[in-house]
Parts: sequence; structure tokens; C-alpha cells
Amino acid sequence: MRETIIQTDVLVIGGGMAGCFAAVKARAAGRDVVLVDKGWVSKTGETPYAGDTTVFNPDWGHDLDAWLTQVHTVGEYLDDPRWTAIVFGEAYERFLDLKAFGVEFLEEGCEPVRLAHPLTQLEMPDAHKFPPLVSQVVHWLPGWPAKLRKAVLRSGATIVDRFVVTELLVQDGRVTGAAGFDVDGREPRVIRAGAVVMSAGGGGFKAIGYPTHGLTADGHVMAYRAGAQVTGKEFLSPHHTNPEAPGWPPIYPVFASGHSAAFPGAWHDPEMVNAEGDEVPVRGMAWHGWIDAEWEAHEGRAPVRAAGPPDGQVRPLSGPGGQGSMLGHAAGGIVPVDDTCATHVPGLYAAGDSCGTCFVGAAYSGFGFATMHAAVTGARAGLGAAEYAQGADRAAPDAAAEAAAVERALAPLRRAGGFGPRWTTQVLQNTLAPYFVLYVKQDERLRAALSTVEFLRDHVVPKLYARDDHELRLAHETASMVANAEMKLRASLFRTESRGTHFREDFPHRDDAWLAWVRLKDEGGAMTPFAEPIPEEFHPDPALPYEQRYPMRLPGEEA
Amino acid sequence: MKEVSTVTDVLVVGGGMAGSFAAIRARQQGADVVVVDKGHVSRSGSTPYPKNMMVFDPGARGHDLERWMGEVALTGEYLNDRAWTEVVLRESRQVFDQLVSWGVGFRKDADGRILRNWGVSGGIESVQLEADSLAPTLRGQLLRHGISIVERVMLTELIVADNRVLGAVGVSTINEVVHVFTAKAVVLCTGASSFKPYGFPLGSVTGDGVAMAYRAGVEITGKEFYDTHATSARHPADVRYLSMERPSGQMPPLGLRTAEGETIELPGPTTLLPEFEAHAGRAPLTPVGPGPGAPSPCDAGPGPDAMVGGAGLGYGGVGEGIWPADGHCGSSLPGLFSAGEACGTRVVGARYPGGGWGVPSAGVTGDRAGRGAAAWAVGAETEPIDGGIVAALTASALAPLRRNGGFGPDWVTQMLRNTVAPYYVLGIGKGDRLEAVLTLVGFMRDHLVPRLMARDAHELRKAHETRNMVLNAEMKLRAALFRTESRGTHYREDFPARSDPDWLAWVVLADRDGHMTPARREIPRDWWPDLALPYGSRYPLAFPGEDRPDETRQPLGAPAQGDDDGRQGGVAGGD
Amino acid sequence: MTGGREVSRVAIERIDAETCTGCGSCVDSCCMDVIRMDDEGGLAMIRYPEDCILCHFCALDCPVDAITVTPEKTGPLPLSWG
Repeated sequence: MRETIIQTDVLVIGGGMAGCFAAVKARAAGRDVVLVDKGWVSKTGETPYAGDTTVFNPDWGHDLDAWLTQVHTVGEYLDDPRWTAIVFGEAYERFLDLKAFGVEFLEEGCEPVRLAHPLTQLEMPDAHKFPPLVSQVVHWLPGWPAKLRKAVLRSGATIVDRFVVTELLVQDGRVTGAAGFDVDGREPRVIRAGAVVMSAGGGGFKAIGYPTHGLTADGHVMAYRAGAQVTGKEFLSPHHTNPEAPGWPPIYPVFASGHSAAFPGAWHDPEMVNAEGDEVPVRGMAWHGWIDAEWEAHEGRAPVRAAGPPDGQVRPLSGPGGQGSMLGHAAGGIVPVDDTCATHVPGLYAAGDSCGTCFVGAAYSGFGFATMHAAVTGARAGLGAAEYAQGADRAAPDAAAEAAAVERALAPLRRAGGFGPRWTTQVLQNTLAPYFVLYVKQDERLRAALSTVEFLRDHVVPKLYARDDHELRLAHETASMVANAEMKLRASLFRTESRGTHFREDFPHRDDAWLAWVRLKDEGGAMTPFAEPIPEEFHPDPALPYEQRYPMRLPGEEA
Repeated sequence: MKEVSTVTDVLVVGGGMAGSFAAIRARQQGADVVVVDKGHVSRSGSTPYPKNMMVFDPGARGHDLERWMGEVALTGEYLNDRAWTEVVLRESRQVFDQLVSWGVGFRKDADGRILRNWGVSGGIESVQLEADSLAPTLRGQLLRHGISIVERVMLTELIVADNRVLGAVGVSTINEVVHVFTAKAVVLCTGASSFKPYGFPLGSVTGDGVAMAYRAGVEITGKEFYDTHATSARHPADVRYLSMERPSGQMPPLGLRTAEGETIELPGPTTLLPEFEAHAGRAPLTPVGPGPGAPSPCDAGPGPDAMVGGAGLGYGGVGEGIWPADGHCGSSLPGLFSAGEACGTRVVGARYPGGGWGVPSAGVTGDRAGRGAAAWAVGAETEPIDGGIVAALTASALAPLRRNGGFGPDWVTQMLRNTVAPYYVLGIGKGDRLEAVLTLVGFMRDHLVPRLMARDAHELRKAHETRNMVLNAEMKLRAALFRTESRGTHYREDFPARSDPDWLAWVVLADRDGHMTPARREIPRDWWPDLALPYGSRYPLAFPGEDRPDETRQPLGAPAQGDDDGRQGGVAGGD
Repeated sequence: MTGGREVSRVAIERIDAETCTGCGSCVDSCCMDVIRMDDEGGLAMIRYPEDCILCHFCALDCPVDAITVTPEKTGPLPLSWG
């Protein structure tokens, strides 16, 4: 099979917010750029559903210390304040970039309307224990993602849509490009590049009703397989739904007709009532309040009623739509080794939800954070990749290795039979769906789920088969999801404490011996977790009592 | 809370084939009989659906007992209880005659002779029931014999005191009414077990009787065997079990074509061959052969679709269930009897030798249990039941209704189904996977089941069924873990061969101090195969991963044992 | 959580109110208690569609052919392989 080979300086994988910024900035630095996407750049991933973005600007009266404290406390000290400062510090520039791209923002009198954190408008119990919620967002008008695409095209970058990247090419320990296939059946392709930016988003398990089925952690998995490390896999970003219409409408207001955070029940209604008619104790994580409803269910007090999707009416809540988004917004991803977003694999950069900067820590405290993180890291990764590509000597391409990678990409098509990707995905979803696996965690149950995932990894994934190119994409997504599932389970097993959105029934308290990031790396074929200690300067004051270090009460910690 | 009390001699639970025979026999023996069913008798359980009925007939058909016994022992891999196999064979003709006399229709050829067919293995012959004739006829006979029928009441627990069964407690599925039955004898004819597959009409068989008996301390056997049913990929839920158009819609095909284009001959019914092929990555499979095909979608023309697996969802087959203590299907609990698919006679052993054993087995055991129950009732006094026991059982029967919050039965059932459905759990077992699923089922048992809630009587039935299904899942997993070998339709990837003589034994499960505890019970030495024979002769069916030292490995699909007349399955006319 | 209802599973799709004579055969036919008689008009109604197991008895037993069962309309089944 003859490959069509594309050559470029910087290859950007994934055309959402992060990828578009990377492409534009790499082009601005004078490099040739190819931006690929398995769907359609600007309609893909989670980007189209974002309602707004956070912009820190001292001229708008923002206090950096207050913003950092918010993130640090709610993130339960697992944020990396260096990255938090970078994201906030560069947010205004990226905001100006967006305006230059043509993105229109809600304005009043030529000034962008700045919307306060929506939960500041609500009476939160125990609010006094928490630092004030001070972040703000600016709100874009409908049609904005198309402006991103246009900006990429205007920059002179080449867009390749409907191309699924399946594998990074690595030679002599550096990234030299990627291999994959075209979903419309055109010849498979190899893309040779001097540097690669992985901006393929986060990963979930195709939760019905959550419109991000294309986000299957492909980027995390490909990078991991190429030798990068992955972090933050024990954290979640779940969203509830309701059992009467679990799949409709999408949690996010696709048409951006209103501020998403003001959309009633889109995130979480702090006024929840359990089956006994009692108010659900809100544990101060209401802005993500996921454990509250889960715990009520676990204790046999579901249904829990709240104002929720699709229309803000009060109805029973249900466990996160399928598996919620489980994207680990800005918490999990490929570990960056410096502030250019370089990774452990020379030539490979990461951005957006693919990049594990840990800038929010163990729990998300703000609205609009992920989009700005994507813009900031996208820009940095694009510049970093551009510089690397300029300086790098191009190795002579290894045609045999490229051909082998293409064969691996097409392998499911070659198989006459085996296991279908839809069945395999359903089995995986069934394994991870119950709340008592990934939400209310416990050692034996995690191991039980891991046993199934390992079987899928070893026995089923190698025999995935596809009858056409569409199914071929599904097959690769399935393989990514299985690997992502293993990452989530291993990281969850390794962290023997609770923190943020990682809750262990068998270790229901925070343990400051765990002021560390959990990372995963491939050691001789085995996915191996290890702890990377957080620098002491970022630790909470040990003199403070536990209740003050951790204002959010976990189940079982009520006074 | 309304309570309805019923006093009778013999309470028969389940109004299907087994329950009808038990009730009618007990009535004929002079007992007062009540049949209770959670649905509508004649449309409940598996009885509305059977196509075939094995009839052993040495007189008119020249069938040879030794030959048929040999057939069953070979396909059952020596785990059939030969005493029961012989009884069911010998008494099947009486059951057939009884059904004919009651007007049950059997398919005939153009000349009016009853059609005969035979299973793919050997010469075990069966006749074909006309669609939808059996169950309605039985209902008519129950009423004709003056038997009271109580419908849409689900029993939740047996009443046991002083080492005797005294009756049972149940709930209406329509409104909040509790039913208390006082009976001298109880016959559990509650059918098989499943996890409510869609399409295979086994949604109502949830192993309720076996569950109640287990909770009352009785031994259960045969749970490690896996009665799988494939279905079609196009409409997996539509197997048209009752399709009138196809004479034997549930007969297996003669072969399978794999995705790689290889055709494998099926050696007989109810093997794990589809599972093995799927596991090896050779699905999709397409049924082929001159015989009747696999179930087809309702509106498809002739010709099968690709198969997909396990629509039976863990359907428990013939011969597993409550350990029978004697020839009247009594149990270790005085006054408690069982019949049909609730009774663990092990009549066919580790694998089903062909279609048609369910009906005669239910008739024979039902008849015997009815006799036994009536005899017991004659000799027994009606014992007054302690009000405190009834109050406690009533409270727990209604508990899901009283709970404001908890877990809905639909959700718990869905979680259970999702966990046990994949073939690599119960179909192709392995120690670590079985343990993993057992961990999750244990969580369901300890944490979810006690918090099941119901909003109405309909959901209350489902809550109790869910409880029973979780128990059934635990039984299947523990039995499969315990039997560290492969045999019949129990396959262990980590123990892929039969292990004689260690596992020439049955597995029984019982509650010991609140823990489900498995044990081995050796089969009588007389029933052992000749261990001097090579392994391959004892077990012609090869399993993947087996090491057969005495011959070249034959893939599963070795030809069936030869039939004298050269018949290899099919339908023929004849007397 | 009381979820798990696959409301897309409406394999038993319809009981035609104009044709139904209220004989109740379908109520008896259903071992899963999907069908009940309604309170007012004495007609049959699909009360618990999520429990339909596609046995087709209701449609087969109905003397006036008032019931439609659509086998394709089921939710994702937990098949053991596929």
C-alpha cells in the first residue's frame, strides 16, 4: 500500500482551542505547519461546547494572589502554582489574540462584559470557610469556533481534516512525525515533522448525552506509548444527568445562547434534596459538588432531586451521564518537563487537555479555566515546537518503521473477524459505569475492574476488527479507551488517600504524605505509577489544623 | 396493609409444566392443592415455549435403554445422575400419553403420524409440540381438577420452623397486599434462572424458588454449567422463540462458518463452540448447514444472519437446582419438594444431549413430587405459624416499598447484567476474572440489595427478582471457581482439561453461617468412565488449550458419535 | 439511583385504542406485567414498557390485532460476545 507522505516542520494533532493556537503561533514563528484532526477543525472535541473563557487582568481589578489562593485551596494543593501563574499571567494576551482572530465577545460600551464566578451569586453554606471565588469570565458570542479555524487558515497552516492519527513516529528517541489513516478511505498517510504538538484533548468513555465521544484520550495514550509520562488520571470531572432523559439535551448549551454557568443546573445545583426529604449536606465543593449526590446514593438515599438538565426543572439526578465527561479537565494529561510544554520525548509538546500542567490541581475551581489553559499552553507549545523544529537535524526517515506503523493503523481492517469495537466499548462502559468503581472507590472494586480492563487490553484489543474506515476509527478509539481505563484505575489504586475529585472509601481523608503528583510511565511494558513530590514551598501550612487546610468535608468527616 | 391468608395441604409454587403435574398428581392423591404463580398461569415461565419433547419408547419405537443411557453419559461427561436419567427416560412415555390424553397437540406429517426428530448427537429422538398448545392445556387441566390458582403473587420467602417448612409469604404484584400461605408441603416448581435476557423470553425466570430454598438452608447443585444461546446480529432481541412458522426454530445449526471462511461442524447442541470461536477472534460466525438455522430476525427471509452471543444471558439449564433427597424430589428440609428446572436432578449431566429434555423431566419430577408432597401432607399436622415469624417475613417482603430511598431494581439489574454478560466471565472462565466479578457481585449483595427500593407493587416484584438474580450470580461464580477443571459447558481457561477422577463429582452450594460454601460430592464409582480408556475416548470433544497426549488434537467439531441409521439430525415422519 | 430505565426500549410500541376491545388477554399474556388496563376506559395500556422482553405473546394473543411490537426498537443489549 503506497502511503501519501506529508512533510512539515510542526505537526499539530487535534484542532480545538489548544491546537489552533499552537498552529497559529508556530506559523507566526515562520515554520511550516500541518494541523490534523480526526473530525473537523473547530467542530471537534470539547472546544465547541465551551461557553466562555477566564481572563485575568489587573486592569480589571483582579488580584493575582486571590485568584491563586482560590485555585490552590480548592485544588487541595495539587495544583502547580507555577503553571497557574503562567496561565493567569498570559490570559489577557490570549484574549487579545482571540479578538484578533475575529472572535466576538459580549460587550457593553466597547468593553467586554465580565461575569463573576456564578456561585458568588448563590448562598453557599460554609462559604466563609473557603477563599472567595474571584475569577471572572468573558463570554463569546455564537459562531466563535469558526473564527479559530479561519485564523489557522489565514496563518498559512495546512488543515487536514478527517484524519485519524494512530501512532507517533519515534526515531533515536525523538519524535519524527506520526502515522494514521484517512476516514474517507483515501490512502493512509505518514506525516513527517520536525516537532509535534499533541493537543488531542482529554478522554472519556463516550458517555451518552455528553457530546464528546471523539475524546477518547488518544493523545495521552499515543504519547505514553512513545515514552512520555501521564499524570492526574485519578481525578474526574463528572457531570450529572437525569434518568428520565439521560441523553438529552447535551449538557452544554451548544448554541452558546446564554452564559453556560448561568444555565440552571448545567453544572450543579447546590440545593439538593435526598429521598428522605432532607437537604443534602453540601460539602463546599458545590461548584463541582459531585461527591454529594454520589454519597447520598451510596448510603441508600437516592433519588436525589435537584434543578438540572435539560431545562432546570427539579427532577431526580442520576449518576454522571454515562461516565460523565471524565475528561479530567486540566488536571490530567501528558507531563510537561518545562514551561515550553515540552514532554519527556524530545520533539513532542503537549497542550490543552492533553497537557498535564496540573494548573487546577485535584478539583476544578473556576469556570472558563480549561479554555484559557488550552490557549496559553497551545501558544507556548506552538512556539516551543517551532523552535525545536528549527534547530533539529532531521534524521533520514525510516521507511520500514513508517510502513509498519501504517500497517498497525490498518490492522483491524485486515482482520476478517474478532471483536467489534462497539461491543468492546459497551463492555468497557459497563465495567466503569457503576458509581462504586470510579466515583466511590475502594481497593478490591478497583482491582476487580482492572482485571476486566487487563483482559480487554491483552485479549480483545489485539483482535479488534473493522469492516470499514469508520469502524477503523472506532477500533482505535476503543483501544485508547481501554488504555485510558487502565491509567485511571492504576492511578486511583496508587493514591491511597482522598483528595479533590478522587474519593476512596477505604482512605476517606487527605493524607499530606500524599502531597505528590501521581504519574504513570511505561517500564518494560508495564504501566507503572510513581509519586512525584510537590515542592515544599507549595505545601499548605502544616501548622493549620486539617479542617482549615481542607475546608471541604468529605463524607464521614462531618463534625 | 391488607393480608390474605390461605391454608392448604400442598402449595405448588409455579404453574408451568412441573407445577401442573405436581398439583394434579397431589390432587389425585386426595390433597387440597393451591398453585401460586407470579404471572398468569399458561403465560408464565418457560412452559409456553418448548418445541421438542424427548420420549423414550422401547415398545412402539424400539428404543434401546442402554444406548440412550450411554448417549447421555457420554454427552453429559459422566455427571448425569444415572438413577434420574433412567427414571426420566422410563417415565417419559407416561408423561407423553398424559399430555396426549389432555389434548396437547403434537405435530404430525401429512398422513397424520407424529413427527419425530432427533438431536444432532446420537439417536435420542423427540417429538414436536404444536405451538402454544401445552401451557393453555395445562391450565385447563388444573382448573378441571379443582385446583385453586392464585396469580400475580410472588413468593418472597419460605416459612420454616422446627426444621420443617410450614408455608410461604408473598406479595401481590398489582397492589400492596401480603399473602401468607400455610401448607403442610411446598413444591417449588419455579423454573430455571436467568438475568432477564431481552429477546429470549426468560425474563420471568429468575431462580426464585432456588433462592428461597437456599436461604432456607437447602443445598443447590449444578450452578457451574452454562447454557448459552446465540442470537442474530441484526436484531439480537428478536429471537421469535415462539415463531409458528419454523418447525424447530431453536434447533442449532449443523455448522458454523467463521470470519475467516472456515466451516466448523457442530458436534452437537449446547457446546461452547461459539464462545471458543469468538474468544479466538474468529467471530462473526454464521450458522450453516442443511439443518434448521439459528433464530432469524422476524421479517427476514430464510437464511441466517451472523450470530452474536449469549442472548440467553446465563440461563440455567435442565437438571441444576435444589438437591433432591429422594425419588420424590424431597429435599433436606422436611416438607419441601421441588420439580422441573428448579430441581437439581442432574438428569443430563454437564451438557444437554439435545432438545426436548425439559418437558419430560418436568413432567416426571412434577408427578413424583406431587406424590411425595401429598403423602407427606397426609401424615403431617397443620402447624400453627408463629406470628412473630410471619411479621418479620412480611416486613422484609415489603421493605423495598417502605424505603424512601435506595437503589432501583432496574439499575441494579442492569449493573448485574453488565457485569456477568461478557462471555469471558461465565462462558470462558478464569480464576482471576471470576474472583473479580465475585468481588463486584459481593458488593451488590451486601450494599445494593439491602437498599433496593420499589415505588409500587410491580417494582416490588422486580426488587425481589433482583435480589434472587444477585444470589444466582454468586452461585454461578462460586461454583465455577470451585470446579478447577473443564467439563461439558463449564470451561476454565486456566484448567482446560477434564480431571478424572478428582472431578468425577458434583458441586453443591449451601449457606454455612451466612457464607455460601461449596463442596464436592463424588459420583458413585459405578458411574465412572473406564479410566483405562484414553482421555480422548472418554471425552471426544476437545477443548481449547487441552493437551491430548494420546492422539493428535482434534478441534472442537469432531463428528458426532455415529448413528446406526446414518441419521445426522433432521426431521422425519414416522410412527 | 432509580435510573437504568432504557426509555428508548419500546419494543412493545403501541396498543391501538380504537381497535382495543378491553378484553384483557394481553394483560394475562405478559409474564413481565408490562400491560395493565387503564382506570377509565377499560382499555389496555402499556404501563411498564421498559420490561418488555419481546416474547410477542401480547400481539399474538390479541383477538383484534391491536398491538404492535417492533423488535428493532431495543436499547443496547449486554451481549456476551459480538
